[in-house]
Amino acid sequence: MKILLAEDDFASRKFMDKQLSRYGECDVMVDGEEAVDAFMMALEDDEPYDLACLDVMMPVMDGYQVLKAIRDIEAQKGIPKSKRVKVIMTTALNDERNVKMAFELGCEAYAGKPIDVEKFEKVLTKLGLI
Amino acid sequence: MAEELLKNEEAEQDELLEDDTQKGKFMTFQTGKEFFGISISYVNEIIAMQPIAAIPEVDDYVKGLINLRGKIIPVIDVRVRFKMEPCEYTDRTCIIVIDVKSTTVGLIVEKIAEVDTIADDSVVPPPTLGRKEHEHNKYVYGLARTEDGVKLLIDPEKLIKQDDIETAMEEVRKEEQS
Amino acid sequence: MAEEFNTESMLDMFLYESGQLLEKLEGIILEKQDADCFDDADINEIFRVMHTIKGSSGVLMYENITKVTHKLEDVFYYLRESHPDDVPHMELVEKVLAVSDFVTAELDKLKNGETPDGDEKELVEDLDEFLGRLKGEIKKQGIQMPQANKHVEPTQFYITPVAGEDSHFYRISIHYRSDTQMSNLRAYSATYALKEVAEDLLYTPDDILSNEASADVIVAEGFHMLLQTKSSKEEVIALIDSSEAEEINFDELTKTEYGNALGEFGREQPAPEPAPVKKDKADAAPEKKEAPKPGDYVVKTKEAGKGKTLAKNQPKQQSIISVNVEKMDSLMDLIGELVIAEAVVLQNPDLKVPGLELSNFQKASGQLSKITTELQEVIMSMRMMPLTNVFQKMRRIVFDVSRKLGKDIELEVVGENTEVDKNIIEHITDPLMHLVRNSVDHGIEEDPADRTSVGKSAKGKIVLEAKNEGGKVYISVKDDGKGLNKEKLYQKALDKGLIENKPMNEFTDKEIFRFITLPGFSTKEEVTEYSGRGVGMDVVVKNIQSISGRLDISSVEFEGSEMTLVIPLTLAIINGIVVQVGNSPFVIETASIKEFVRVGEDSLIHEPSGEEYIVLRGECFPFIRLNEKYDLPDSIDKIEEGIVVVLEHEGSQVCVLIDKLLQEQEIVVKPIPPYVKKVKGLSGCTQLGDGSIALILDIAGLLMHDGERR
Repeated sequence: MKILLAEDDFASRKFMDKQLSRYGECDVMVDGEEAVDAFMMALEDDEPYDLACLDVMMPVMDGYQVLKAIRDIEAQKGIPKSKRVKVIMTTALNDERNVKMAFELGCEAYAGKPIDVEKFEKVLTKLGLI
Repeated sequence: MAEELLKNEEAEQDELLEDDTQKGKFMTFQTGKEFFGISISYVNEIIAMQPIAAIPEVDDYVKGLINLRGKIIPVIDVRVRFKMEPCEYTDRTCIIVIDVKSTTVGLIVEKIAEVDTIADDSVVPPPTLGRKEHEHNKYVYGLARTEDGVKLLIDPEKLIKQDDIETAMEEVRKEEQS
Repeated sequence: MAEEFNTESMLDMFLYESGQLLEKLEGIILEKQDADCFDDADINEIFRVMHTIKGSSGVLMYENITKVTHKLEDVFYYLRESHPDDVPHMELVEKVLAVSDFVTAELDKLKNGETPDGDEKELVEDLDEFLGRLKGEIKKQGIQMPQANKHVEPTQFYITPVAGEDSHFYRISIHYRSDTQMSNLRAYSATYALKEVAEDLLYTPDDILSNEASADVIVAEGFHMLLQTKSSKEEVIALIDSSEAEEINFDELTKTEYGNALGEFGREQPAPEPAPVKKDKADAAPEKKEAPKPGDYVVKTKEAGKGKTLAKNQPKQQSIISVNVEKMDSLMDLIGELVIAEAVVLQNPDLKVPGLELSNFQKASGQLSKITTELQEVIMSMRMMPLTNVFQKMRRIVFDVSRKLGKDIELEVVGENTEVDKNIIEHITDPLMHLVRNSVDHGIEEDPADRTSVGKSAKGKIVLEAKNEGGKVYISVKDDGKGLNKEKLYQKALDKGLIENKPMNEFTDKEIFRFITLPGFSTKEEVTEYSGRGVGMDVVVKNIQSISGRLDISSVEFEGSEMTLVIPLTLAIINGIVVQVGNSPFVIETASIKEFVRVGEDSLIHEPSGEEYIVLRGECFPFIRLNEKYDLPDSIDKIEEGIVVVLEHEGSQVCVLIDKLLQEQEIVVKPIPPYVKKVKGLSGCTQLGDGSIALILDIAGLLMHDGERR
């Protein structure tokens, strides 16, 4: 599986990279804009990502903006819902408002930090990724 | 809020510090011919005589309630407590506000004398000879010899303690009557 | 303080919403437990509740909750679609309660920061079996089987952050040998290695790569790191390259120490952590990171009074924001002080100088009074809570106890929306529970035949009623059971030596009923599981008296008993009239004053015993001269010069002679200092506008005292 990881904090990034690399090839971005670029590029190369893990608080573009951009691009390209990239938001913002907002923007899961690895894996199973 | 708490804490610390300096210091006052002393650590403040709201049906020495800046506290007349004849209140009559075991009580005394330092070794227990146990000296735990005479040292806890047994007996008697 | 303004965490919201739903569910169930079946609205509602909890627990991945609610949702789906007859209603009620209990237990675990690990298997199997039978029944009755309930698996998930509890916190200091070259790079490699496992990592000096001079600092002062990680000490040590290191200090810190240490490392203190009392550990740790940095767009909007979605569906429980009761209390106290301060200003003796032009002052003070009065009303209304929740609990008790004892009892609830002060609610729950248990246990007959033989229906009935009347709240528990047997009560009280030895006919019925409130009295020989768990009616009475309430008991043998708690609406502020007797002011609660009259000596009747009575319009009232009773000097003795106040309390009246009326005002009730013995006839004291103290008359006490004297 092809994974896109966007995370600006180095420690978190390393941690996530290590976790995610167990499931597949993981491209690591450090800000939101890069993440959207990488997503675009993958689409154009016809090698789209299966999973995107987006941190919410990132420089340039935050996770929500990235999520929205990704969903907009997919809609524009006419990608069916089932083929969309699965998005998991990762953040320490655990209040209901932020979570609901992310859900409305169309993410598949929202993981509060520190991430519960066990549950994370369960979600990947439920999403049919592993 | 926080500031207030801090202040309180400071105050508490001050109190702790004071404890040392307070040691052996006694607030002395005159009631009748006798001079009495009360450890200054109990004393909260001294205020001038105030209008007192009498409470009916209580022990005669409980004179009533006063309003200490919004806090309502009971006051007792030390003279009456010592079973002496009550006397008129004058300009010199004062109320010593004491804190005993989280109870705040005002003591009405005829005249405040001064703050004396009394060394432990100059205190002797009161003579018990010839007096009945429950007589008025039960509030006095020691006699202190000072330059200007003997001072009777009072145990405030006993002073404000109500005569539980006495009142209990009275209750029983009342109940029997009814 | 700050955490109170935090928006609710996802988990909190789930707990809150599910809690509300379950409460609602229990309400429906207990209301309909005696019915033959649920009506369509209930079935829909229960279905909806289960559906919602199933959905949200699915998103949060609490699978056992999801499974259980899923099954019950299925059951109600079939009920909703097929309307089968002859559903075993009682069994269904039990199933719903079992699910509700299961989910509640799991939610409680979450609240306590534990893992919701309850085993759902048995319950699910049980429900499956029930569902199977239900389907069979549907087939038998020839009703078309609906399409299977379609379950939409959640497509979005919320991964709750791991509780920070299992993270370790370390402070690591590395001192390199003084001749170490490029110690900053060594330090960097150490941090790099640690980043593999770090949840949070801080180090000082922090400019190890960009500033070569940092190497000297590191050699001189050492390199210090703060690490938050799940890895054990050994694992962490293994990661650090120890060559060239002279000494490595390794301390494990507690979370608090870690938080403090963050400050030393130049990081701002993390957003104040939730106070330790906060149950929700789950969101305790993670807040630490992500201090907003420039370039962050996400703003945690602090939306005041964010309505919780459920509030609008349940107008009865408008707990829109939760406020610490202590804060409410201190606000209440402050307003009390404000009322006093207002009186001090408005009645200030300085204003009484003759010839003073005060019209502007009067206008302004009128405005002030209006505002303080309104302020008081608002705070009072803020503190008012409906009895709904309390009554809900009672329903559950009646349900549980009656089933356990095998009694068939119907509970009727009247006036559950009656509101009382929050403080008071806290004080009445236990007494009320006791009364209800008593009614179920002792009140209603064990054998239905005992009921039918005296012409009552076999099914027992308990009525729980609340009403608000004349500034008091009446809460009664009425049963149509066997009632109290006066002879038995009398004999028992006598045997136990609780009463004076005098013939029974010298006691009034009320007095005899009151025997059951004497300490050491219990009408049943054995203490059963449900009543008399070491506490008796005396405790009930004591609790009620502590909030200036009382317990009324009335009963007719074979017809039933009624226990009524009479409690004040509120405790803190009353409307009172200040009167003067001699030199002392007294306060009388306005509500208990019937009238003021001036009467002449000719209205007085003197008894030889010294008792006096007043005849008013042909009626005779007991008469108390307050000045004599309380021995107050300088007061009016002649009745025609003073004023007679007719006071009423629970139907009995008493006349009191006072000198004059001073004013009517709001009275902030303060307790008489406990040092002063309790005086009968006085319920408290207050501070008047001029700073003087007035005693508050307690009419009940006056009447009682008067009664005793006779």
